[in-house]
Amino acid sequence: MNGKTIVITSGKGGVGKSTATANIGAALAMEGNRVAVIDMDIGLRNLDVLLGLENRIVYTIVDAAKGRCKIKQAAIKDKKIDNLFLIPASQSDNKDVLTTEEITNLCEKLRKEFDFILLDCPAGIEKGFQNSVAAADEAVVICTPEVSSVRDADRVIGLLYARSITPKLVVNRIVPEMVERGDMLSHEDVVDILSIDLIGLVPMDEQVVISTNTGVPLVTQKDSKAGEALRRIAYRLNGQPDLPIEVPTVKKSFWKTKINFRFGGKK
Amino acid sequence: MMEANQNKAIAQLKGVGDGLRVVIDPSQSAELLQQELKKIFQPLNHLSINARVVIDTGEGLVDENLVKTLGAYLKENFKVGSVSGIPPRPSARKARMRQRELDTCWNTNQSEVLMMAGRVRSGQKITAKRHLVLMGDVNPGGEIIAGGDIVVLGSLRGIAACGQPENFNAIIFALDFRPSQIQIGPLVAAGPPGAPKQKAEFAHVENNAIVVDDYLEAGPFSKLPWPEKR
Repeated sequence: MNGKTIVITSGKGGVGKSTATANIGAALAMEGNRVAVIDMDIGLRNLDVLLGLENRIVYTIVDAAKGRCKIKQAAIKDKKIDNLFLIPASQSDNKDVLTTEEITNLCEKLRKEFDFILLDCPAGIEKGFQNSVAAADEAVVICTPEVSSVRDADRVIGLLYARSITPKLVVNRIVPEMVERGDMLSHEDVVDILSIDLIGLVPMDEQVVISTNTGVPLVTQKDSKAGEALRRIAYRLNGQPDLPIEVPTVKKSFWKTKINFRFGGKK
Repeated sequence: MMEANQNKAIAQLKGVGDGLRVVIDPSQSAELLQQELKKIFQPLNHLSINARVVIDTGEGLVDENLVKTLGAYLKENFKVGSVSGIPPRPSARKARMRQRELDTCWNTNQSEVLMMAGRVRSGQKITAKRHLVLMGDVNPGGEIIAGGDIVVLGSLRGIAACGQPENFNAIIFALDFRPSQIQIGPLVAAGPPGAPKQKAEFAHVENNAIVVDDYLEAGPFSKLPWPEKR
């Protein structure tokens, strides 16, 4: 087996890297791939909570990379999805404990075991970012339609290009109503500045908060808009690159439209 | 050269259709020229009365005062009608020289332009010793710095500093001009506020302040008489 290592990064914090990693990983695993999601945010681990696995952590990535345990011991199998494994971050160390070589060696070993290795990159462009990127073949940049997020994503894209990685873009947390009013950057504006290939548009979804708190990935739920968008991103990564990208739009209910039409009311 | 000058007459009379044209050497003193004019006009007798005289000072700048002095002298002594200088003609010799300069400027002037293509992303920086031409965009957070002019054939949304450290003549031009900040020499200005617009504009210094104008409307270089090395 020769798996693909994909780093999920953004530069700015809080734009949805971990949520995207957990959900894309889960969706890829549900497609039948063997998937490892790795929390690279050493010292501030989160990914275990998102997958609801926080109470099962015995060994961490630091143990696995330093050879203190076997990879099999560090990789925690998901509760529901058979092919999904989490390698959690250590909460008691900081990002300097691991060297770039240790991470690349670990990923080389994982490559033989898994189809996809998703690296959940920490915010910032320091050691944690450099370690995550050093091991990656591909990169997905998450960006929200905010000027600050776009600026940080742009910086990260520059750094990825410098390492000969051509990243793909996910625009997260789109609020179609605000875009329509002109209060939010549209995904076209974001793509215009970042000028890299788009791989998905994810709408704002309240369910994300619920899913994070309960530790059940969104992609396992049927009626989530964000979950659907993330599932489609996973399909595009998994050999369906031409799957059309759906632009989140304002959904008007059938009856509302009908009534407005009938009585000539406001939109 | 010296011999040619000595042989050449200081003042010469040439007949023109309806008047008299006197070609003088403007480098000579007024007294000498007056003596020469006397020699020319005395034999004319009454022919000079009420004649229209044009004083031709040849190539180069016309000294208004010289023409006036000589005119007054001629009016007083020979009762000529009117005296005028002629506007300077485009000099054929100079035109040839300029054309030759243009033809050979590739050989004589080494290029001092850094020409780049691509996108300057946030955190990236391009520095040019002299002029900078960028075929591409500058993203917010990107920086371009030049000792001379900056030309961006794309969208300028980052920081641009031209004429560093203190050339006030430098300009910043962009096809889509919406920088976050611009600097010309030591002067600094915040980018133009308001709704983004796609307009070819340029920034330059006017009265010690940075001014942004529409490039095609203002045409900053359209008034130059001939192409100049920048």
